[in-house]
Amino acid sequence: MLSRLANTKLTITVEAFSLNYTNLQICRWGRKPRWLPTAKTKMFRVPPRPQIPVEDYEELKRLYNIYRTEIKSLKNYFTEKYSVENVQRFDMEQHEKSFKEDFLKCNAINDEWNQQIKVEREERVAKELEENIEDAKKRLEARNERQLIKLQNADEIVRHEIEASKDFITPEKLDAAIEYALNNPVDYNYAIDLDGNIIEGRETGSRKLEIKQ
Amino acid sequence: MPIKYIGKSIDFKGKTLWEILGNLKNFGVGRIIARNMFERYPEPSYIKIMKVETVPNPETNTPDDMRKVRVWCENTFRGRKFPELYEVFATSYKADYKLIPKYEEAEYCKCDNPRVHNKVLPKTTSFPPLLRELIMRDMKARGEVVEEPQLKIIYNVSQQSHYRAAENDESPTEPLQKGFGKAVTSTLQPHQVSNL
Repeated sequence: MLSRLANTKLTITVEAFSLNYTNLQICRWGRKPRWLPTAKTKMFRVPPRPQIPVEDYEELKRLYNIYRTEIKSLKNYFTEKYSVENVQRFDMEQHEKSFKEDFLKCNAINDEWNQQIKVEREERVAKELEENIEDAKKRLEARNERQLIKLQNADEIVRHEIEASKDFITPEKLDAAIEYALNNPVDYNYAIDLDGNIIEGRETGSRKLEIKQ
Repeated sequence: MPIKYIGKSIDFKGKTLWEILGNLKNFGVGRIIARNMFERYPEPSYIKIMKVETVPNPETNTPDDMRKVRVWCENTFRGRKFPELYEVFATSYKADYKLIPKYEEAEYCKCDNPRVHNKVLPKTTSFPPLLRELIMRDMKARGEVVEEPQLKIIYNVSQQSHYRAAENDESPTEPLQKGFGKAVTSTLQPHQVSNL
């Protein structure tokens, strides 16, 4: 076949594809739009029947007969070929057998994977358990420590309060406290002169205010 | 005012079957009726009426269905008589039938030039070049013995056909025309293509 092709001169030149616009023929839709009915002027026009010469008719018939016979034969060939292949492909028994085989193979692979994952999972769970216990222990320790600090703080407060409560004015000490207050008046008034001396109280002495520079 | 015909012209010429048979004595049993379209063949084609049956009013009253009639006849097509009775029903509405007068019957039915019968055509042919290459490559790939693949030819075979495919070892009497073959006249012969 190829030798036949080689014998005939198959030359494709660049000129064949050159953009020569004089060769272009613009195709327009040169008639009525498709959705309109037949024009009034064309309504009763009867196109003349084609007059084919007898010779041409006979020749065309002969050629078409050859063509149709050949195409029919080829169609038949392809139909037969592929239908036979299809029948083989969809042999039910074979299909089921291969399906089962495939299933067993897949199952084996799945089991293997499951085994692998089981080992991995056990390792992981054990490790996680250990970690959890460790974590719990740490948290317990921290909690105890926090508790201890809290207790210590509370103790401190209580001790401080007890210490402070010595100076509290109780009903028993009230008279003495009043006596003391009357005897020791405190004057918080003070004045500042131009030199920055603080003069405390109305009758008490003065002291120098330290001015921060 | 002159009559102006509109619409497409037809090849039919004549009457429907019932238009003829309904006017004949005994519905024309024994008479010869021919179709105008079959007169294009050199051999005579005609039917001889054996039995006529009218049909009930059809459910779908199309004009064609209304004109139908069921007729059994001896059918002769292109000079060859069918072995069994032939039923005309589906084509009975076609306005293409004509009655052959009794005195013309013998002349009309005479067949001087019967067709040459029983052409034996080849059973197989070669594949188209590219497909042939593919098939041969497949054969090679499958490790089979590479031999020229043969395409089984499918012929249109009917009761009227005068040809058949060759049987097992029979040699064909006619060669199969392939490609463009030989034109009916020399003026139509495609020289360049045939040289390929």
